[in-house]
Amino acid sequence: MNLMILELAVVVLGLGILLGDLWTAAHQKHLLGYAAAALLGVILLASFFGLEQVGSGPAYAFNNMLVLDGLAVFFKRFFLIAAILVLLMSVEFSNRIQSGISEFYCLILFALTGMMFAASANDFIMVFVALELISVTFYVLNSFQRNRLASLEAGIKYLILSALSAAFLVFGIALVFGTTTFTNFADIQRALVANPALAGNGLFLLGVLMIIVGLGFKIAAFPFQIWAPDVYQGSPTPSTAFLAVGSKAAGIVLLLRVLFVAVPAVTQHWSKLLIIISAITILYGNLCAIPQRNLKRLLGYSSISNAGYLLLGFAALSQAGKAAILYYLAGYLFTVVAAFTVICLVTRDRDSDDITVLAGLHRRSPLLAMALTMAMVSLAGIPPLAGFFGKFLLLKAVVEQGATNSAYYWLVGITVFGVVISLYYYFGVIRAIYWSKDVTDFSPITVSWPAKLSLVVCMAAILYLGLLPGKPLKLSEDSALALTTPVSGSKQLFH
Amino acid sequence: MSWITKNLWLIPILPLLAAALISVCKQPRRRTAATLAIGSMVFSFLLSCCAFATTLHSEHGGFREVANFDWFSFGTTTLRLGWVLDPLTACMLVMVTFVGTLIFIYSIGYMAHDENFTRFFCFLALFAAAMLGILIANNLLLLFISWELVGLASYLLIGFWFHKPSAAAAAKKAFITTRIGDIGFFIGILWLYSSTGTLLFYDNGAGCLESSALTKLVTETTFAGMAVSTAIAILIFCGAIGKSGQVPLHVWLPDAMEGPTPVSALIHAATMVAAGVFLVARVYPLMEVTAPGLPSVSTALQVVTWIGAITAVFAALIAVAQNDIKRILAYSTVSQLGFMMMGLGMGGVAVGMFHLITHAFFKSLLFLGAGSIIHGCHEEQDIRHMGGLKKYMPLTFATYAIGMMALSGVPFFFSGFWSKDEILHSAFTWQVSKIPFYLAAFGALLTAFYMTRQICYAFFGSYRGHKHPHESPRVMTVPLVLLAIGAIVLGVFGTPAWPAFETYLSGHDAEFDVAKLLRGETLSVMLISICIVAVGIFAAWQLYGRKPVKTADQPDPLEAVNGNVYRWLANRLYIDEFYDATVIRLNAAFAYSADLLDRVLWGGAVRAASLVTLAFAHINRTIDDLFINFGFDESCHNIRRSSGFLSKLQDGQIQNYLRGIGVALATLVLFLIWGCR
Repeated sequence: MNLMILELAVVVLGLGILLGDLWTAAHQKHLLGYAAAALLGVILLASFFGLEQVGSGPAYAFNNMLVLDGLAVFFKRFFLIAAILVLLMSVEFSNRIQSGISEFYCLILFALTGMMFAASANDFIMVFVALELISVTFYVLNSFQRNRLASLEAGIKYLILSALSAAFLVFGIALVFGTTTFTNFADIQRALVANPALAGNGLFLLGVLMIIVGLGFKIAAFPFQIWAPDVYQGSPTPSTAFLAVGSKAAGIVLLLRVLFVAVPAVTQHWSKLLIIISAITILYGNLCAIPQRNLKRLLGYSSISNAGYLLLGFAALSQAGKAAILYYLAGYLFTVVAAFTVICLVTRDRDSDDITVLAGLHRRSPLLAMALTMAMVSLAGIPPLAGFFGKFLLLKAVVEQGATNSAYYWLVGITVFGVVISLYYYFGVIRAIYWSKDVTDFSPITVSWPAKLSLVVCMAAILYLGLLPGKPLKLSEDSALALTTPVSGSKQLFH
Repeated sequence: MSWITKNLWLIPILPLLAAALISVCKQPRRRTAATLAIGSMVFSFLLSCCAFATTLHSEHGGFREVANFDWFSFGTTTLRLGWVLDPLTACMLVMVTFVGTLIFIYSIGYMAHDENFTRFFCFLALFAAAMLGILIANNLLLLFISWELVGLASYLLIGFWFHKPSAAAAAKKAFITTRIGDIGFFIGILWLYSSTGTLLFYDNGAGCLESSALTKLVTETTFAGMAVSTAIAILIFCGAIGKSGQVPLHVWLPDAMEGPTPVSALIHAATMVAAGVFLVARVYPLMEVTAPGLPSVSTALQVVTWIGAITAVFAALIAVAQNDIKRILAYSTVSQLGFMMMGLGMGGVAVGMFHLITHAFFKSLLFLGAGSIIHGCHEEQDIRHMGGLKKYMPLTFATYAIGMMALSGVPFFFSGFWSKDEILHSAFTWQVSKIPFYLAAFGALLTAFYMTRQICYAFFGSYRGHKHPHESPRVMTVPLVLLAIGAIVLGVFGTPAWPAFETYLSGHDAEFDVAKLLRGETLSVMLISICIVAVGIFAAWQLYGRKPVKTADQPDPLEAVNGNVYRWLANRLYIDEFYDATVIRLNAAFAYSADLLDRVLWGGAVRAASLVTLAFAHINRTIDDLFINFGFDESCHNIRRSSGFLSKLQDGQIQNYLRGIGVALATLVLFLIWGCR
């Protein structure tokens, strides 16, 4: 029970919001978002006092289905922060949702619960349940603007493709269970150690592959990225942001656990596969982003390329790579939320997400212009911002592996190439802000103080992660320690 | 080491911090700027008082504590900086911070209508920081750095109203003229470093002002048999000549009166010009050292004395015939600085420094009084257009009169009398020559004369201006009163009966002995000095006071006595014209020829080289266009095209997406079978 106290609190909060909705006047319902965000803040704070036992080592519950270790705590806090920022964004978006804004908040909370369970998942059943909780809530979140065709279309597409990937995932789980008779990560790992021949079993490998496909869908890695641009573009902006940050991070944490806790022996063999997927994802995301004129679609492709960067850390197969993934995700969270918050505010009175809405933004609202500029510069990986340091860590982890396999050097080359291409479209956004020729609208944009606060927090975090990487890096390294498996020790027995 | 010595650096750092903070203040935040500047000065003043109190209790031999630290090292050499707390530093610190605080407060009133109020306070604080840096420095280099910062700040302040061409020119002139002196100073520093290997003043016996280094310097000789110590001392004195406006580099000081009046009071009366005197006092051991065989007065001190004496008379002469109230004070300052130098040269540190301190009080009092007059007369600076102001500005008049009497050396109750008396006394007993004494006496006479003339013009008679004059606001008059009190009280510490200041500097206890006042020599010098003052005031009163000038364009009564002499004096003895005709013309001619050489010879060479480069560049560009750019453009184009193609794959048809995923899965399985085995 203790291990899921945070999740329970979030669920109770979600139900509370639903109840609170009954006693709130219609024109004040959007303010529930602030309440939800504030209470999530309290939960976040409580997590610093309530999860003390983590320091002594991982704790298990429900027949080892749930685990609470450094990694789980890191991601739980990550998701909480993301949800708080997204809720603040949703309040700004509330004027574009005709009815049921409190359900919107509530769904965000339920999705958050799913993500937090995912952070703790230590069993394939748990993986499936958590992922489905996330997916199902997102079906609704994505199609929440019922009067907009694009939103509905996004929801449907997400539903169908997600269902397909879930099918793959379940099939994969079934195959793994069939070959090992276990669904628990630790058991599977032990089974692999006890029976090395299993790593050569075709059915088992197919099962693992299908699980990776299911998770790859969540993080929008090539070749399962195909849903991302359409859904990003059509969904309501806060849903998109949460999809880009929360859902992707949930996929990442599960992938980390599956690859490095459940089947580390298989992963060792599949470094080539990871390298290739990573390289193609980076190239695909960056190349496709170039011609985009729609901001959200552009960020969708950018999100694909970022999935590729994150896969670099997987491909490195090293502790440094895992820590780098966590660090990069932290920077990515604040950067993307900042960008989507700005988009959400700028497009408040317009129906379009076209890049031209940014024209003259620096005169309409210097804060927004600055936040978006910082986000873009950080995404492009220019020092001294978070994105730079994150990419630096990822590349460093990859380069360190270069001695074992020269393919890693190629991977670095492709990544750098991708980053250079990405400069083009990220700076295209910045250019649209400052150097647009025909600016017609100079009306200042009013930004409410919670939104301002959220932007300032994001910018401060981007700067902090870029300038003073010492402490957060230590934290990511400590959190990644949960992924060191005893396998490396037992592997030495074979040598 | 006492805590105050450890934290002495705070004294200059506080105003520096204030300057930095003010510099980021927005223009309308006047209150913040003034509060920061004045607050930092008040804190510095309190700290200085602590420092002063610390130096008061000391055993026999004088209080001195130094704190040195390594700045940086190159190779095996370490450059060390540090600060020193001794009576000389302490009394200057108190004086500068006290006078500075009052002037800062006064500036609130004086600059109230200026739109660049915050900038002004920023510069003032910067100046104060640099000046305090000079005072605490225990290293000639640190001193020089602060010295140059002072120069910069004074440049900025003199040229504060840079939209006036005269102010801009004056700022430039001040900067360049003092720089000429600083060249000598800098060469002196380099020479000192190369001979002794250290620039620290005091370093537990290894400093450049301590006996081992001095013995080494004094025994080495350079050209014409001059001791190295003498050469270095004179070179360092060059810096003092520039900063303290001694002849022949005095020309910048009167022009510097283009700056706002508080600046004139702060920089050109109390602090910056005193920096030169302070410098001489600081390196006094180097100045006074002589070879063991020659017990007479050192050459360097003789130079100091003569320059001072000439300056004292020379500037006083010019002051007699000036009409701009601030210019008169400026020349008076130059003259008084000459007195200080004389005091240093003949009587020692205490004599010169005592005059410096008292002068700082009454001269800043006079400047601020002048500022008050100018403010009250609606920016009128010409004394011919004033007159009768004692009726309109009683408080200003009373304080101004106190300042004037202190400066003239009216006996017994005013500090100027005692400090000047000491200088005359030391000149009287100087063993080398009696001429400086006569020059000093004449200078004192002229001082009394021109000050009386000025007061008669400004305060007596009838008002000759146009706009109605008015008394200044409280924020300006209160500093005047405080300074006036200082101008009177300070004299107590330097009377021959109770030479508290002198003994404080040398580290002895003062004894009260009225009998000393009546000793033959002292008494006779005092009497002479009283007579001189009386004659000066009487003569001026005869000329200007008895029959006050009626109209503004009436010729000066002195002009009626001797027109030619007056014209010479009024035109500042044609020194500026002389410099124009010689130094500046020479410089211009040289610059012109250099320019010509540059354009014809070097310019030709450069043009030829550039033509060759251009030719290469053309070839290069062709290659670039044909091969490199073509390739690059082509690849960019390809990237763009491929990206367009890739994103077209995303056609929005979900059936195709599903198909895509299926194909992808199949590919992965195939890849697994063949790829990862």
